[in-house]
Amino acid sequence: MSTVSWITARGLFGRRRFLLLLPLPVLLVVLAVLSRGLGVAPSAWGPPVLVGLGLAVVLPVVALIVGTGVLGAEIDDGTVVHVLTTPLPRWQIVLPKLAVAVGATAVTVAVPLFAAGLLADSVRLGLALAVAASIGALAYSALFVAASLLTRRPVLLGLVYVLIWEGLLSNVVTGTRVLSIQHYVIALADRLAPTNLLDTTVSVPVAAVMTALVSVAFTLLAVNRLRSFSVAGETS
Amino acid sequence: MSEPTGVIHDIGYQRYTGLRLGRRAVFGALYVHGVRTAFGLGRSAKAKIFPWLVVGIVLMVAGAVTAIGSQIGETLMTYAQFADSMSWLVIFFVAVAAPELVSRDLRSGVLPLYFSRPLPTVDYPMAKLLALATALWMLLGAPQLVMFLGAAFTGNDMGAVWDELLDLVPGLLYAGLWAVVFAAVGLLIASLTGKRAFAAGGIVAVFLMTTPIVGVLSILPSQAANQLAGIASPSTLVQGVGIWTMRDQVITDPDALGPDLGAFGPVYALVAALLVAACVALLLARYRKVAAR
Repeated sequence: MSTVSWITARGLFGRRRFLLLLPLPVLLVVLAVLSRGLGVAPSAWGPPVLVGLGLAVVLPVVALIVGTGVLGAEIDDGTVVHVLTTPLPRWQIVLPKLAVAVGATAVTVAVPLFAAGLLADSVRLGLALAVAASIGALAYSALFVAASLLTRRPVLLGLVYVLIWEGLLSNVVTGTRVLSIQHYVIALADRLAPTNLLDTTVSVPVAAVMTALVSVAFTLLAVNRLRSFSVAGETS
Repeated sequence: MSEPTGVIHDIGYQRYTGLRLGRRAVFGALYVHGVRTAFGLGRSAKAKIFPWLVVGIVLMVAGAVTAIGSQIGETLMTYAQFADSMSWLVIFFVAVAAPELVSRDLRSGVLPLYFSRPLPTVDYPMAKLLALATALWMLLGAPQLVMFLGAAFTGNDMGAVWDELLDLVPGLLYAGLWAVVFAAVGLLIASLTGKRAFAAGGIVAVFLMTTPIVGVLSILPSQAANQLAGIASPSTLVQGVGIWTMRDQVITDPDALGPDLGAFGPVYALVAALLVAACVALLLARYRKVAAR
């Protein structure tokens, strides 16, 4: 484990703030257990819990908080200078941070989704959701780490994407789903475990290619941006 | 040891003898500054991007609704329904504005400066809350005014304008309810952290995670649970109050089922009032603690 990833992990988990991430996954499991325990049909509670809460809220919001936290928090309080003045190649700074963000997001989201999928249908659906959510965590984290280098307000930019693009537009204008990570994740999970609970209009090859493209492109963009990064303060 | 040789010169310092503005002026200044902050007025262009993005979208939707409505000659959306359909943008606006209003002051540690003025601890959060609620009400009210003007100029006689006005007033009241509930919840969350990024994420997380709870509660095998489901989320709670008080404004399509409240309409109103009261009480408690530091 490199020093950068060690620092990042400690910055993320060392504060009590990290506990704020727990209510979301816990709520997911509680709702799944409640619905299952009261004997509601999985076809009725599956879509709102698995997609509406799990893939549309928990995954992007956790990825947003963690992804912008690994680099954005250091930029915010200026301590990123200490990392930048070391003779490390920039990719050795971005990749460990991205790895920590992906790991933290994937664990936080995949475990409750596995439990919910297991309760909804089968072990296969649980595993499919967990795997797809981990892949989605990679794409989202790459996007949000790059966002924290593109602007000083990465969380708001990320929220524009999550709320307005994925939340509002892709429900009204279905064509925008081709550029929505949420629908890639749904398509991949549905391919891994075909059920009638997950539904999307994006085809699996498109989802796979686009997820890979998003992850790689935004990682490269982040590395490139960090090469010419300016730490000048901003007072707005 | 020699005698001190320093001299104190009179360089003309004077005490302030002008009018001293009291508590009300401080409150008013904080309030006006808060409303301006919410929209990024008086600040750099970068601070204006996100608030005016939201304002632009809602005005654009209102313009489109008005234009299409006047072309095909029927109302696409009532004033109250407009507030409902903009809920995601309202959440985003709260996530932008609430951290600007309170988290910056917490982070930069300027609160002792505020509280060294003739400003009771209660006034600071109340001014901020009022400012956020006003900003939200303006965000939802301005597009309704656009729709009203469009409809008023489309109508041929004064009677039609009067009818429109009678529809607009409940719409604006409904927007006010949205504003108060969302401002109270959002500002409470934002006041817990000094980091704007965490505050914005927290606000969105709280508002979004409550919606699926409604979805699950409304399919449980218990009629009372279904009818009370809307209480679990701020947006459906406000909607429930709207359905109870002005059903014909919120649900226009007679075929649409809409959320079934049963006889629990008053419960929704009571819970909404309790929610706002609880959030304000917690906000005041939070600032009592911060001010004591």
